Order: sequence, then C-alpha cells, then structure tokens
Amino acid sequence: MKCYLCADLLDLKPSWRDLFFMDREETVCLNCRATFERLIQGCKICSASGPGICEECNRWETTELRRTIDSGQCLYAYNNAMKDYFHQFKFLQDVVLAEVFSEELVKAVRKTKGVAVPIPMNPVKLRKRTFAQVDSMLEAGGADYVHLLQKNEEIQGEKTKEERISTRGIFTWNGNSVPKNIVLVDDMYTTGTTLRLAAEILKEAGAETVTFVALIRA
Amino acid sequence: MKEIQDFLVGRIWLRDFTPFSKKAIEKAINKGFIAVQKGITEKLECARCLEKSSEKIIPYNCAKCEGICYYCRHCIRMGRVSSCTDLITWKEPLEISSYSHSFSWNGELTNLQQQASDELDESLRRNRSHLVYAVCGAGKTELLFPPLHKALSEGKRICIAAPRTDVVLELSPRLKAAFPDTAMHTLYGGSVFEEGFAQLIVATTHQLYRFQQAFDLVIVDEADAYPYSYDPALARAVNKSLKENAPIVYVSATPSKKMLKSTASQSKIFRRFHGHPLPVPEYRSLWNYRKSFNTNKIPAKLKEWVEQRLEKNEPFMLFFPAINMIRKAEPLFKLIDSRIGAVHSKDEDRKEKVMQLRRGEIPGILTSSILERGVTIDNVQVGIVGADEAVFEAAALIQMAGRAGRSSAFPNGEVIFFHNGISRQMDEARNLIKFYNREGQR
Ligand SMILES: [Zn+2]
Ligand SMILES: [Zn+2]
Ligand SMILES: [Zn+2]
Ligand SMILES: [Zn+2]
Repeated sequence: MKCYLCADLLDLKPSWRDLFFMDREETVCLNCRATFERLIQGCKICSASGPGICEECNRWETTELRRTIDSGQCLYAYNNAMKDYFHQFKFLQDVVLAEVFSEELVKAVRKTKGVAVPIPMNPVKLRKRTFAQVDSMLEAGGADYVHLLQKNEEIQGEKTKEERISTRGIFTWNGNSVPKNIVLVDDMYTTGTTLRLAAEILKEAGAETVTFVALIRA
Repeated sequence: MKEIQDFLVGRIWLRDFTPFSKKAIEKAINKGFIAVQKGITEKLECARCLEKSSEKIIPYNCAKCEGICYYCRHCIRMGRVSSCTDLITWKEPLEISSYSHSFSWNGELTNLQQQASDELDESLRRNRSHLVYAVCGAGKTELLFPPLHKALSEGKRICIAAPRTDVVLELSPRLKAAFPDTAMHTLYGGSVFEEGFAQLIVATTHQLYRFQQAFDLVIVDEADAYPYSYDPALARAVNKSLKENAPIVYVSATPSKKMLKSTASQSKIFRRFHGHPLPVPEYRSLWNYRKSFNTNKIPAKLKEWVEQRLEKNEPFMLFFPAINMIRKAEPLFKLIDSRIGAVHSKDEDRKEKVMQLRRGEIPGILTSSILERGVTIDNVQVGIVGADEAVFEAAALIQMAGRAGRSSAFPNGEVIFFHNGISRQMDEARNLIKFYNREGQR
C-alpha cells in the first residue's frame, strides 16, 4: 500500500492498536499527514481563530440570514498542503482522495447527532465532474446521509459579496421529509453564504436546528 | 485540418482538452482522420500510460456513466483518463521530407568522443539500440550532435527524453543552438504550448505518455536516473512512443547491470573531455551526525571542512540524505555564513540558487540528491553527509562526486564522503571511479 499523496510506501507494521481497535486502514503517510493544519477551537460557528464568535459570523446575525445556522465546525486550514490536496481531489478528480479525511469528517458529523445533508451540486456540473466530493467523503467514511436540497443553475460572472449574499433561489427543497436536527456537510467554508442559504431553506421546510461541518476553512 | 494534424500526429490526446474547438475535432473524426478510443480499455488498462495494476486503475461510481467507471491514477496529472473519456490519435503517419538541416555547432570532439559518436552513428544506420556509457564530464551531449544532425536530415522524427525538468531545461537551449532552423518543441509539466509540428522534441520522460508511434528514434538521457529506472511505466512509455522497430539510445554515466546486459551495442568513455582523472572520494568519519544536528550542533569535522572552503573561497555543495536534516542544518550553517543556501526537491527556486552559486553570489549550498545531476559549477567542492545511508546508492554517489573537477581550469575538486560507517555502496562507488580512471588513462 502506498501513500495516496506522495506514493511513499506506507508502514504496514501491525501495531497493538490494530489488534484491539478496528482502525480504518491508513491512506496517507505520516509525513504528508503532518503537512495539514487541523483547526482547534476558534469561532464557535466557522472555526476562524479567536475566542467566542468571530466578527464575520457576528455580522451575519445582523442580516436577513441571521439564525439560519446554529453552530458549526471547519476541520482544516486552507494551507498549501490542503490546496494541493483539494486541487487533486476536486479538479484532477482523484476520487480515492475522498478517503483521506473521510474518517475525521464523519466523526465530526456524528458528534452533532444531526442527520447529514450534503450541500448538493448542480446536476449538469455533477455530470461534468463525474462525482460529488462531499457525498464521496461521507460514503468513504461509512456515514448515512440524505439529500434534501437541489442546487439550481448558478448565475455566471463576477458578483460582489452583497450580490452573492442576496442570490436567493440557488437552493430549493426537494420535498423529502425534513428531520428536526440537521448537519449540513460541505467541503469548503469560504464566506458562509452557501451554507446559510441552504440552512434557511431547510428551516423554512421545518428543520429546528441546522449545524454544519466543513472540511476546510478558506 | 492541417493545424490539427500537425499537433496530433504521433500523439494520443484527451479529446476534450485539445487546443482546438470541439467542433473542429468532431469534423476531423467524421472525416475519418482521427481515431477515437476509450481512455480505459476493456482489459482495464489505461490507453495513455498503459498502467493496469489495480492499485492505480480505480473503480468508482461515476455520475457521467451512471454506473461503475474506472480511472487511472498513474497519469492523472496530465488530465484524468477514465472509462468515459475519449482519447484521440491521428490515423495517418506524417511523411517528413529529408533535407540538410542547418547545424551550427562548431566545437570539437575528443578522440574518445569521436569514436563513440561514430559507433552510435553506425548503430543508427543499422537501426539498433545503443548505450553510451560515459563518465560525468565526458561530454556526452556533444557527441550526440553529429548523429542527430544526420538523422534529422534523413527526415527522422526524434525525441530526447530526460528524467527531470531541470535536465530538459539545460539540454533544450544547447540543442536549439546546434540546430537553429529545426522545428523543436520543449515539453515538461507546465511548459507553454508551442504551435505546429516539431521534428525534434526535448521532453521529460513523463511526456512520452502522450505519444504513440511517433518517433524514429528516442534518446533516453540519464537513463539510470530516478524516476525512469524505477518506474516501469516510463519504459513502456518510451516503447509506445516509438515507431515499429525504431531504436532507442540510452545515455548514462552510471548504467545499471541490467542496462549493460540488455543493450548489445555500447560505447564507453571513461575519460573526461579535459583529460584529467575523476576526483576520487575521500572517506571521513563523522560519528552520530544525526544526533548532532538534532541537538543543533554541526559535527566538528564538517564545520571545519566548510570553514576551509569559505576561507579558500571555493564554492561547495553539501549533499544530505534527508530533507528534514537539511531543514535542521540550514540555520546552523547560516550562523557560520548567512549566505549559505539550501535547496531540496520541493524547492521552487532551486534553479535560481544554483545560478547564485555559479555566479559566486553565495558560497555554498546544502542540497538533497535532487542536484546530483545536470549541475556544473567551476571549482565546486563536494561533501556528502551520511554517504553511508541507504538512500545513497553507488550510482548516486558517483553522480554527486561527478560534480567536482568538471572544468579544465579546475580539474581537481575535492570529494568527501562523511560517514557513520562504511557502506558497500560507498566502496562500490569509489572502486568504480578508480576503475574509470585506470581505464581512462590507457
Ligand atoms: Zn505521503
Ligand atoms: Zn465565525
Ligand atoms: Zn494512465
Ligand atoms: Zn464515467
């Protein structure tokens, strides 16, 4: 077995852990693993560094998208190693890389006790990319999920932040029954607009709490 | 159509990623000029890089196929090939007219170079593969020029493949200067697109995945080097890129036993072009150097050697067995002289740092084995820290030692194997160097 990222041979010495725990097989070597930067604590919603709730998330509470998201967590910083990884996974379409962080992602999802709902891709885009990276990470981690949203055609071209925030209607509820507690799952948290728009729809459709887990905080 | 032909002939390319419009490609397909095939064959082999191991050909649930689809991880950096991607090739081969290419190299070959050049010429005349076994600094590139000129003038399409981008970038301007009017492309990961048909191609070996039945001759430079020697897919790529029965020329200073056995026609040059012997490595013990670096100390003997180089104003290259050891050592050496630089394989500006060393702007460089080849610096002195470590095989040690004494102005550089015990590979390297020197002086 070789490391998915650097192709070095993985150490296959069985450790005592393997005998007692059913750890999933490692896919990335320790050197590569060490290049990623796990986010600890930080903003209670988006994991940005600092105590309490960050300025950006506070500002969200003054907009009409306030109280759409109840809490959240981003797992990793968008450092160079993560940029390389994400590029290879998403744009080079290296599907196996879904396994690299799937275990951690699923662990964080399960901790929320909500039902996992991936941020969906537009069907045309999905056919083009040939796989949905969020779904494939959840599948690789053995987690159940339901699709409750449908993503509509995105408006192309440059948009200002304000315009993006007011871009309503990028998601619609697909009519499946909505559980009380939902955890939205996405690959990357950038401005937080996408997640909030999705959460808004889900709350309108009857969800009581919506939290989220994103792999990367950009 | 001509433009598409010029680009595509001899190539195997992703249908959706050509420099031409999808319409134009479709038209050429409908007219029967272009053949289309599935990226992954029925036998689950990648049609581009010929990989077929289950570790690299990965099944997954594809939204485009709406079912199980396979993709190739091996050549994924060139744009992913999967069951549902099409690869295209130009059906008819291109006839290249023969004419005398201009040849503006006016250097002179030594007797040994001339002899090897003639032998190579003879092999090419008989269409058989050939190995040029020439020590570091023998002038192996120059001896290729006359046979290359002849082959180009005969209308042959030729590829010179080298293992690393650094080597390609070093070769390319020399070839361009020797054959100024020949249509030549330089290909490596991230190279800019060049228009038209090229009769001469200089490329990293990886780029050959994208060729099929293209060349009448492939020259594999540094044929023993990583990754070519370790990756059977690259050897397959070379074979796939050749037309039927076309020969391969291997060029190496440190050929493997297998290569020596498998190529019957050989030319050997065990003498540098300037006629001086190769510097013989000296062993110098350096006990517990790892522990020393870990406790932020440069071992005394190593420090002394570097200080001597600084004092004598001699540029130096200090090779290390591991990147993390370089990271530990760099700040320590910077305390001796803040201009001392460090490079490794993941370093983007290593080219610039080598230039700085060459220009005398920095006194020395700490490096991984990434600089074992293709670097020529006047009067450079070479130290290898941990020469006994497993990463340093005899071939690598010979290459690193081969950096010293290359110019005729300074033919006697110093090469020190700093070690924590003598390895078989160290002995093998030193014995081979001594053997070359005996043979070369005959
Ligand atoms: Zn790795
Ligand atoms: Zn926040
Ligand atoms: Zn392939
Ligand atoms: Zn497919």
